[in-house]
Amino acid sequence: MSTTPRLPSAIEGRPPDLRSVMAHQPGLQRDFSVLYGTFWSHGVLDHPTKEVARLRNARTTDCGY
Amino acid sequence: MTTDVLAARPELVEHRATMLDGIWRGSGVPPRLLELARLRVAALLHDEVGSATRTPVAVAAGFDEDVADALPSWPTDPRFTPTDRAALALAEQFVMDCHGITDAQVAELRDALGDQATVGFLIALALFDGFSRAATVLRGF
Repeated sequence: MSTTPRLPSAIEGRPPDLRSVMAHQPGLQRDFSVLYGTFWSHGVLDHPTKEVARLRNARTTDCGY
Repeated sequence: MTTDVLAARPELVEHRATMLDGIWRGSGVPPRLLELARLRVAALLHDEVGSATRTPVAVAAGFDEDVADALPSWPTDPRFTPTDRAALALAEQFVMDCHGITDAQVAELRDALGDQATVGFLIALALFDGFSRAATVLRGF
């Protein structure tokens, strides 16, 4: 896996990271935030359980973010 | 389609539909390319329903069923353009092991699509992959 960003930031003065690169698609970024927020704010699973699942997924995919 | 298996969570269905609509109509990625990637992801995940489905936006844009039939042969079949191949190679690697994606693969797609559409394509892959997996698990086939 590369250690250098593969896409530039879409936000002037801000280094490339997930949010600043996703900002190339502001509409999708907004829609994703709504969808992701709904996962966290709705449903019967408690937050600790959701966080365990998120962390497990991040470790499985070796996602440092 | 995942709409049926998510029926118990109508708020998720609505937000997912909004996001997918943005992918298909507002991301700047050609619908043909999105449909090719979606079908390839579905095939790799053995998502039979996703593989049998066609996205109306892609069909309306003239998506060719012959190309869908030839999808397993995309590396060599002349019906696939260099951009198709760049996108499909990246889509396959995304599903199998995203750490195996190379700088050159991303650069090739950026050259073909530009930065905005490349970001859109990657977000599309995340949705296709994630919801195809979820639908397969929830359906059980």
